[in-house]
Amino acid sequence: MTFRRALAYFFREAVVSLARSWKVSFVAVTTIGVSLFVGGVFLVVGENLARVAEQAREDVRVVVYFEPDAGEEQMASVARTAERMPWVRATAVVTAEQARERFVEIFPGLGELLERDAEALPPSLEIGVRPDAAPSEGYQSWLERLRDTPLVSTVDDDQEWISQLGAAVAVVRGLGLALGAILLAAAVFTIGSVIRLTAYLYEEEITIMRLVGATEFFIRGPFYAEGLLQGLIGGAVAAGGLWLAFRSVATRLTGSLLGALTLVEAPSVEDLALLVALGTAAGLVGAVVSLRGESLGEPPVDEI
Amino acid sequence: MIQFFHVAKSFPGGQQALDDVTFSILKGEFSFLTGASGAGKTTLLRLIYRGEVPSAGRILVNGRNVSSLPRRKIPYLRRTIGVVFQNFRLIDRKTVFENVSYLLRILGEDREEQRRLAFQALERVGLAHRANAFPPQLSGGEQQRVAIARAVIQQPDILIADEPTGNLDPDLSWEIVRLFLDINRRGTTVLLATHDRAMIERVGGRVLTLDAGRLVADERVIGAAPPEPLPSPESTGSAEVAGQAGSEVAP
Repeated sequence: MTFRRALAYFFREAVVSLARSWKVSFVAVTTIGVSLFVGGVFLVVGENLARVAEQAREDVRVVVYFEPDAGEEQMASVARTAERMPWVRATAVVTAEQARERFVEIFPGLGELLERDAEALPPSLEIGVRPDAAPSEGYQSWLERLRDTPLVSTVDDDQEWISQLGAAVAVVRGLGLALGAILLAAAVFTIGSVIRLTAYLYEEEITIMRLVGATEFFIRGPFYAEGLLQGLIGGAVAAGGLWLAFRSVATRLTGSLLGALTLVEAPSVEDLALLVALGTAAGLVGAVVSLRGESLGEPPVDEI
Repeated sequence: MIQFFHVAKSFPGGQQALDDVTFSILKGEFSFLTGASGAGKTTLLRLIYRGEVPSAGRILVNGRNVSSLPRRKIPYLRRTIGVVFQNFRLIDRKTVFENVSYLLRILGEDREEQRRLAFQALERVGLAHRANAFPPQLSGGEQQRVAIARAVIQQPDILIADEPTGNLDPDLSWEIVRLFLDINRRGTTVLLATHDRAMIERVGGRVLTLDAGRLVADERVIGAAPPEPLPSPESTGSAEVAGQAGSEVAP
């Protein structure tokens, strides 16, 4: 039999078997779908956090906030001093008025908050810094000098929160990887159990297949195809679910900080394809592992 | 065709199924294998198609030593041996046609060839009109005829049958035996296990008798009423075998 014909036979038999035992197949597909969905959520959130961190790294700033009574000359002097540092790309003075306008532009509904506290947004100096500035010699002492400058209230360094964000990305990714791996292993086990159960159900049939001369390849092929199909469907369900979940949550989180941080971009086609591929592989592996060492349908030995 | 040399078979519990069995069946012979229940008939048949491995001795089928056959080659041996069981062993969820053509599908025959050979085999057993039925929709006799059609679809060298009439009434049993004789007349070596002594005496032929795992008799019996050939048999050049069953005198 040609390989192509054999494959066609395997998948035809697998579809029939899926339909026959749809309840257990449903359990297997659901397990793998949920596992991959959870893993996919972590993947998408982790990717978006990493993207945010990367963008932030490209645009690292040190923001020097002044006391409300700091004059323009004072701020310009600090800017001139900063511009002499090798890691500084550019400086820009932001007056209290400009800061207020920015805030209202970003959060239109929260403008009244500023009316209660006129000094809520102090004047500042935004200093653009090269992404590789943090390890530079003298960078930290320069920050310290800035903090000690008269009329400077606070100095915020983006590097600090970017490194924290980097750590968060690593945690999300690690957690996603660990959780995904555990759930995927559970899914592989479930699919394996379902396939073994199906093989037991078909034991008499397999015995007959052996008696008429079917090879191991021909006997096991439909079970492998069934595992593969279960994984494929589970992966597709996870990919579809992730896409729909993203669309639904993204709509609700538009404009919020959480949304800005975690759902900047939808799961890519590559991400969704990865879920489907992982599901398919998990299904196939589950089927192969579950039937390894099983002497399917060997004739009974109790008759003499 | 089938040769046993001092074959013994014991099971893990220590049960001795066969003990020092030696015989030889020639190509085109029709033989009965008989003995009481538990005499070792089923074990002997299973040894032929490598359903079991002998504990001692040597078994040659078509000149091949089946005892030392690698596992991966067993399917190819079984494709040359048709097997029929008392309980038919049909796949209930497949149609009669699918059951019969299953081996052809394994062999990769195209659909047209599958149809042609399956209908030819079903016509031989008189069941072409039930090709689309499922086994549970058939009577016991019909199911056994389907099993025979499946066993002979590839014109195997050997056909072995384990109590094929055990679940059938006498009239149906007679029809089934006539089918086996017809198949034998076309050149296939047939070994039919039965404990139905009356059937053997009616048909006649070579009879191997087992008792507690030992071959206690290898004789030829003259049939009291050997059956007429089935109507319109297709002559396949096996005339030298035709009429052999029941026509010879016991040595």
